[in-house]
Amino acid sequence: MSRLILKNVYKRYDNAEKKLFGKKKAQNDFAVKDLSFECPDNSFIGILGPSGCGKSTTLRMIAGLEEITGGGIFIDNVRINNLLPKDRNIGLAFEDYALYPPLTVYDNLAFNLRAKKTPKDKIKAAIDKVAPLLKVDELLHMKPSALSGGQKQRVNIARAIVRQPGLLLLDEPLSHLDGKMRQTLRQEIKRMHRDIRCTTIIVTHDQIEAMSLADVIIIMKDGELQQMGTPLEVYDSPVNEFVAGFIGEPPMNLLRSLIVKQEAGFFFTFTGSDLRVKVPEPYATLVSDGKRVTLGVRPVDVLITNADSSTPAPVAVYENFGDERRVSVRVGAEHLNITTMENVTYKPGDTIRLDFNSEKTHLFDPETGKVIK
Amino acid sequence: MARIEIDGVSRRYKNMSPGAKAVDHLSLDIKDNEFFVLFGPAGAGKTTTLKLIAGIEFPDEGLVKIGGEIVNLIEPLYRNVSMVFENYALYPHLSVYDNIAFPMRSPLYKKDEGYIKQAVEKVVKMMKIDGLYERKPSQLSNGQRQRVAIGRCLVREPKVFLMDEPLAHLDAKLRHFMRGELKEMQSAFNTTTIYVTHDFMEAMSLADRIAVMNNGKIEQLGTSLQMYYTPVNEFVARLFGEPEINIFPAALKSENGTLTLTALGQEAPLVPEADAAQALREAGATALDIGMRGVDVSFSLAPQDSSWIRGTIYAFEPIGNKVIMTADVNGEKIRIAAPNSTSADLDDAVYLKFNMKDALFFNGDTKTFITRSEIEKYQGGK
Repeated sequence: MSRLILKNVYKRYDNAEKKLFGKKKAQNDFAVKDLSFECPDNSFIGILGPSGCGKSTTLRMIAGLEEITGGGIFIDNVRINNLLPKDRNIGLAFEDYALYPPLTVYDNLAFNLRAKKTPKDKIKAAIDKVAPLLKVDELLHMKPSALSGGQKQRVNIARAIVRQPGLLLLDEPLSHLDGKMRQTLRQEIKRMHRDIRCTTIIVTHDQIEAMSLADVIIIMKDGELQQMGTPLEVYDSPVNEFVAGFIGEPPMNLLRSLIVKQEAGFFFTFTGSDLRVKVPEPYATLVSDGKRVTLGVRPVDVLITNADSSTPAPVAVYENFGDERRVSVRVGAEHLNITTMENVTYKPGDTIRLDFNSEKTHLFDPETGKVIK
Repeated sequence: MARIEIDGVSRRYKNMSPGAKAVDHLSLDIKDNEFFVLFGPAGAGKTTTLKLIAGIEFPDEGLVKIGGEIVNLIEPLYRNVSMVFENYALYPHLSVYDNIAFPMRSPLYKKDEGYIKQAVEKVVKMMKIDGLYERKPSQLSNGQRQRVAIGRCLVREPKVFLMDEPLAHLDAKLRHFMRGELKEMQSAFNTTTIYVTHDFMEAMSLADRIAVMNNGKIEQLGTSLQMYYTPVNEFVARLFGEPEINIFPAALKSENGTLTLTALGQEAPLVPEADAAQALREAGATALDIGMRGVDVSFSLAPQDSSWIRGTIYAFEPIGNKVIMTADVNGEKIRIAAPNSTSADLDDAVYLKFNMKDALFFNGDTKTFITRSEIEKYQGGK
């Protein structure tokens, strides 16, 4: 129910200890660098990145658990840099459930409201409203020790939203749970967000989690924002090689390539391989003879064809998963992976010809990693 | 290079609840040179089975035979089995060459250096790591380290090659990549291999045959496609495929010789293919469960006639190359694999149609497989 804005936010940890032991750390070693983004009212934002990218630090600055080194954080246009965590109207749920073990689920949920001297009937009304959303209404009389991991996390999230915060922050809430429970809770968090419409930020390293939950994903690396967009935008139009490789499972093929012009047009060629694949028509204007690029193409966008768009390539690996089939060919030291729904069968050594999806091929600058458009 | 027979083997650990066994009267016959996968959830008894073959555990009852010889009382050292561990366990201070040569220099084998050189050269060529002789493990990529670890296991030409979840500790991306690498070099192994995993993609990709284990017993033994298309029960059906197969109850009625199925609170019946209907009639089951994979459900967001099943969208999860859409049909959740260009909001109406050709029919009481359409084609394997 709140709008959150980060403006040029920086974070640097004072590594007092390191100085003590004589390890000189570069002064401009920022955990978060010049981070700006806006979360509109009622939105669901995912902050995604590998460990050490600054995503949790960002969340902790929003929550007020970390000092902000530079820049400003605004909730509903109020600068909150110097507000105490309790005054920011934020609900927080971490990976660890941190429930009070001697208290029942009901008392756990009521704890913060009681601390704020909320009248009893209002507490009950608030819990009655929140409990069914996270399916903990049957558990209210139980102690945390009797709950499963998934149930504990439900209670934990319920406790975060029972105060009706303006902003809900979730830090890797699902990473302790096993596969099936994770999937179920993921669906329920999404439905809960739909019901309470509270501006929510989830921090995760799991791209599937971010893709399936968030309306907008922010991808970070080394403290810097790489790309912000809807799940489909970051999947279909990655701005750089990092985003391209990070999003998507199975991962995008990323291959160093030298462009060669032949009579039939431009071709991708690869070190240590005879394979040549035609540059799809829409990309012909972006390349030139002798240009070096990093080719990015998702396994589903490599098509097996009869046309002479490539030299014949021997199949290195064929896998049949029932739902889909995966084929790989050797390109130098790497595999070029192909996923197909067609019911095809190959043996290693069979030759196939390839074509790249003319709308979904990506070219990146091998030096900077930036997309070439 | 040996056939492995396990004959009525049981193994119980002290701390297990009474009556429970880690491996329970297990019998297996693994062919010479076969790539055999033990697959199942945690606690199924996969690793215990592997340890029984390696000789790290001894059976309480039953026989373990390697190459026709009973090895129950033979120490692991003398069984000529080789095991690759999850973390590769390379010697960090030794070069690639010395790592691979290491087992040949052990007191048991003690080959001369000339022989070792030949053997190592053969293996590095096979594993495509020639040219890396001088490097230390820290100077290798993950894929190269795996190759060295496998090379070290294969160099002394073991009778049996055992692999216990070698990819389990890797993240999803790397696991995908390493699986492909492993699959490609697999044909070079030239030895009986037993591979333990809980990842269905590894099992389906690598195995000549899979044994699905649960509670120390084998649920099903066969090829990956047999498991996928004709699982023996609902437990096995749920283990293969992503998203998980939909299984929902159906009532079976036979009127005037025509068999109809009603399910999901629909008036319009589901009509099984003729051959499946015939088999269902013969089986005489009254309570049925239908198994329907997410890729076999068609859907429409635009209203359709009453032959389609109406539901509402309970969850909508774009995961990149597809969208996993979960429809709520009268309380039953049906997962659908939709193209990634689909867009919809929660609680929108969605219309479903099942591809009955690929429906699996289970006994609703025992949860065991009854039939499917074109069953002979699929039971054959490939």
